[in-house]
Amino acid sequence: MLRHSRLFRFSLAAALAFACAGMSAAAPVKTEHVEAELVAERTAFIPGQSLTVALRLRMAEGWHTYWRNPGDSGLPTTLAWTLPAGATAGPILWPAPYALPVEPLMNYGYEGEVLLLTEILAPADARPGETLALAAKAEWLVCRETCIPEEASLTLELPISSRSDPYPQWGRSIASTRALLPGPVRGWLGAARGEGAKVVLTLTAPADTELPGDLRFFPFDEGRIEPSGKQSLVRDANGTFVLTLPVAHQLAPEFKRVAGVITASRGFASGNLVVPSLALDVPLTGAVVAGPKPMTAATPVLNLDAPPAKAPGTDVSLALALVFAFVGGIVLNLMPCVFPVLSIKVLSLSRPGHGSWRMLRLEGVAYGAGVILSFVALAGLLLGLRAAGAELGWGFQLQSPAVITALALLFFVLALNMSGAFEFATFAPSSAAGWTVRNPYLNSALTGVLAVAIASPCTAPFMGAALGYALTQPAGLTLLVFAALGVGMALPFVLLTWFPGWRRILPRPGAWMERLKQFLAFPLYATVAWLAWVLGAQMDNDAVVRLLGTLVIVAFALWAWRVYRGGATRAFGVLAALGLAGAVVVAWPLFGDTAEDHAAAGTSIASARAAGGAIDPWRPYTPALLQELSRTKPVFVDFTAAWCVTCQVNKRLVLNDSRVREAFAQRGVELVRADWTRRDPDITKALAALGRQGVPVYVLYRPGKEPLLLPEILQKQIIYDALATL
Amino acid sequence: MTIRLSLKLLVASIALFAGGVHAVTAGSAAPQFTIADTTGKPVKLSDYQGKFVVLEWTNPECPFVRKHYDSRNMQDLQKEWGGKDVVWLSINSTNESSSEFKTPQEMGAWMKAQGAAPKAALIDSTSATGRAYAAKTTPHMFVIDRAGKIVYAGAIDDRRSANPADAKVANNYVRAALTEALAGKLVRVSSATPYGCSVKY
Repeated sequence: MLRHSRLFRFSLAAALAFACAGMSAAAPVKTEHVEAELVAERTAFIPGQSLTVALRLRMAEGWHTYWRNPGDSGLPTTLAWTLPAGATAGPILWPAPYALPVEPLMNYGYEGEVLLLTEILAPADARPGETLALAAKAEWLVCRETCIPEEASLTLELPISSRSDPYPQWGRSIASTRALLPGPVRGWLGAARGEGAKVVLTLTAPADTELPGDLRFFPFDEGRIEPSGKQSLVRDANGTFVLTLPVAHQLAPEFKRVAGVITASRGFASGNLVVPSLALDVPLTGAVVAGPKPMTAATPVLNLDAPPAKAPGTDVSLALALVFAFVGGIVLNLMPCVFPVLSIKVLSLSRPGHGSWRMLRLEGVAYGAGVILSFVALAGLLLGLRAAGAELGWGFQLQSPAVITALALLFFVLALNMSGAFEFATFAPSSAAGWTVRNPYLNSALTGVLAVAIASPCTAPFMGAALGYALTQPAGLTLLVFAALGVGMALPFVLLTWFPGWRRILPRPGAWMERLKQFLAFPLYATVAWLAWVLGAQMDNDAVVRLLGTLVIVAFALWAWRVYRGGATRAFGVLAALGLAGAVVVAWPLFGDTAEDHAAAGTSIASARAAGGAIDPWRPYTPALLQELSRTKPVFVDFTAAWCVTCQVNKRLVLNDSRVREAFAQRGVELVRADWTRRDPDITKALAALGRQGVPVYVLYRPGKEPLLLPEILQKQIIYDALATL
Repeated sequence: MTIRLSLKLLVASIALFAGGVHAVTAGSAAPQFTIADTTGKPVKLSDYQGKFVVLEWTNPECPFVRKHYDSRNMQDLQKEWGGKDVVWLSINSTNESSSEFKTPQEMGAWMKAQGAAPKAALIDSTSATGRAYAAKTTPHMFVIDRAGKIVYAGAIDDRRSANPADAKVANNYVRAALTEALAGKLVRVSSATPYGCSVKY
C-alpha cells in the first residue's frame, strides 16, 4: 500500500515535471473544423528504441477525415516528418475505418476523434539528458457536405532518457489504439476467389466461435471493390462466412491479391480475446471483370450483382468441363462444317501406296498437334484480347460480319471444289505440289490447323456455354479445357492412322469415292446458307444480297478460269480476273462494316421489329430496362444469338411454345431478349456478372430474391419449375 | 486435293481471324442526355455526334475544382482542346436539394469570373446525368470519341491533392487521352480512379 502510494506520488511528480518542462508539445493547432496535435505514448525516447507517436485529429461534430483508401471521394490524411539525424519514422498505422455513406456514394474514414499512429525510432547514439524534436506537416481533407483541405505544422519535443513512463494523458489511448490495429487474428483464415463481377471472400472461423455479427470489408487500395456496392454475407453449411463483394466499375489493373480490413459489429473472437477488426492479404484466384455501373439502382430491391441461384444441372466442375470439352471435340468431327473435309482427308489415306505405317502414324500425330495447338492458340488470343480490355465472350468470332462473310466464301469455294466444279490443282504451281509431298508431316499439321479454322463456326453454336464457362476460370484452366477440346477433335483421325485395319473393309477405290465427295459438298452448301441467314440477322437484307452476289461472281470466275486452263482463249483468263476483282468490289463493304458501326442501325431494326409486330412480347435488352422492370416484376431474360444453334432450338421448342408463353403471362413475367448476335459490351458484361462468357443463358430475375439461372438445354418443365419459385 | 487445299485455305483462315478482331475497342457507349445550360438552352449529347466530347463534372464549392481553376489548368485545357474542335461540356450535378446548389445564373457568373471556356456549362439539377455516368467526384472527367464511346473515364490527373501548385506539374490524363484519341491511336490510360469532393447527389 505504501509502495503503491509512493509510486503514485512519484508518477504524479514526474508527470507534472514533464508537463512543465522536459516534454513540450506545442498547443494543439485548431482549424475551423479540426483540432490537431502530435502526442506520444510514453514520456521519453530511449536511445535505439522506437516510440509510438500519434497524430490526434478531433473533428467537429458531423465532419470526417479519411482512411488510407478514402472510398468514392476524399483524400487520405498525410504526414511528412522532419526528424533529427538518425531518427526514422514508419508509415501511418491506420485504425480500422468506418463506413461513411454519402448517398449514393460511400467514404471510408473517421468521425469524432482518431489517433493515427507512427513508430519513431530514436537514434542509437542519442544522448540521455538531451531532447529529440519531432516536426511533422500534417495535411487532411475534412468534409461534411462541403470539403475543406487543411494542414498544420506540428511539433513535439521529448527528452532522451534511459527510462520512459506512460504519458499520462495519451499513453493509454495510444496503447489501446495500437492493440486494436487491424492485423491477422489467430484462428480466422481468409481466402478470395474472383467470379466475374464479384469477389467471394471466405472466412473460416475457429471452432465454436461466437458469431461476429455484420461484417464489412474495406479494401486497402482503390479500384478493387466498389465502395458503395452491396456486400452480402452468408454462413455456409460448414460454418464458413462468405462475404460477396462487388468488383469496382473502374477496375484498376493487376488485381492479384485481396488486401484490406474486415470489421465485425460484434468482433472476432479468438481465444479469450474479441477484436473488432482484422486485416487480411490473400491471393485472388479465379477471374474478375469490372463490375456494373454503381449508383444507377435507386432501390436495391433487386441486386443484379447478387449471386444467381442455380437450377439443378447448371453447375459445371472442372472435371466435368474437361469431359464435356473432350466429348464435344469428338462430336465436332461430325459437324456439317468439318465432316466433309475430314472424310476426304481420311479417304486419301486409304489410297494404296500411301506410305508406310510409320509415316501414316507420324502424320496422324502431326495432325493432332496441329489441332490441339490451334485451339490453345485461339483461347490464348481471346484471353489476350480480353486482358487488353475488349468486351468479348466465346462466340466473338461470329459477331463480326467480316468473319461471317469470309467463312461463307471459304465454305462456298470448298463446296464447289467438292462438287467437282474446279480442281485446286489447276491453281497450284507444280513446285508447291512437290513441296507438300516432301513435307507430309508439316502438311498434316497444317490440315489440323485448317480443321480448327473450319470448325470455329460450329464451336460457338453448339458449345458456346461450355467454352464460355471455361473462360471464367483462371487462364491455365481455360487453356486446359480448350486443349481437351482439341484432344477430342483430333482423336478419331489419329486413331484411324494408328490402326489402319479399317482400310481393308473399304471397297476398292473407284467411282464411288468421287460420288461421295460430290455428295459431301451439300452439308457445306447448307453451312453457307446458314451463314447467310446469320449475316442477315446481324445486318440487313442488303448485306445478304451482297454476299449472295459475291458468291455468284466467285463461281463465275472459277468457271472462267477452269475453261481457260482447259485450253480456251486468253479472254477466259481475263474474265476470271475480272470476276475476281468484281467479287472483291461487291464484298468489300461487308469487310469494312464493323459490328460497332451497325450497332445503332441494329437497335433501330430491333425496335422497329418490336413495334411492327405488336404481339411480340419480347423486349430488347438494355441494362436500364432490366433494372426498371425487375424492380417490381419478375423478368425472364433470354441471352441468345442468331448463330447459336442451341439457342434457336430452345427458342423454337420451348420459349415459343404456346403453353410456356401462357405460363409466363399468368405469372406476369416480363420477357426480355438480349441478342448477342453482334458484339455488345453491355450484354457481355451482364453475362460476366452471371459468371458466363457465352450464350445461351436463361435467367429468371425474381423480385426480392436472387436471380435464378436455368440450364442451357431448356425443357418446358424447367420453365414451369422456375416459375413456381416466384 | 485437301492437301494442297489446306495450305491455301490456311492463309485465308488466318486472314479472316485477324480481320475479325481489328475492330475491338474498350469502353462502353456514352449515356445520352439532354440538360439545360446556364442560359436555359437544352444541350443534347447527340448534337455533337461525330465530334470528340469532354465531360467535366464540376462544383464551384469544391476545393479540388478550385485547385484546377485557380491554377488556370482547367481553363487552359478548355481553350486548348476547344481550339481543336473538341466539344467541352462542364456539368454541375449538385442536386437542387443540396446547400451547394448553384442556380444557372450563379453558375454562369462563376464560370465567367473564372474565364472558363467550355462549349457549355450544364445544370444537372436532378443529378440524373451524374448518376447515369456514375460520376463520383468533382472533378470527374470523361472523354467520348466520335462514335460516342467513352475512351477515358476518371481522374483529371495523377496528383491526388487539393494543392493548386500540383495541377501544372501533374501528368494530365485528359490531355493524354485526347492527344492519343485525336491522332487515331489507342488511349493507353483509359481509366484512373477519380479524386476530389463527392458529387452532391
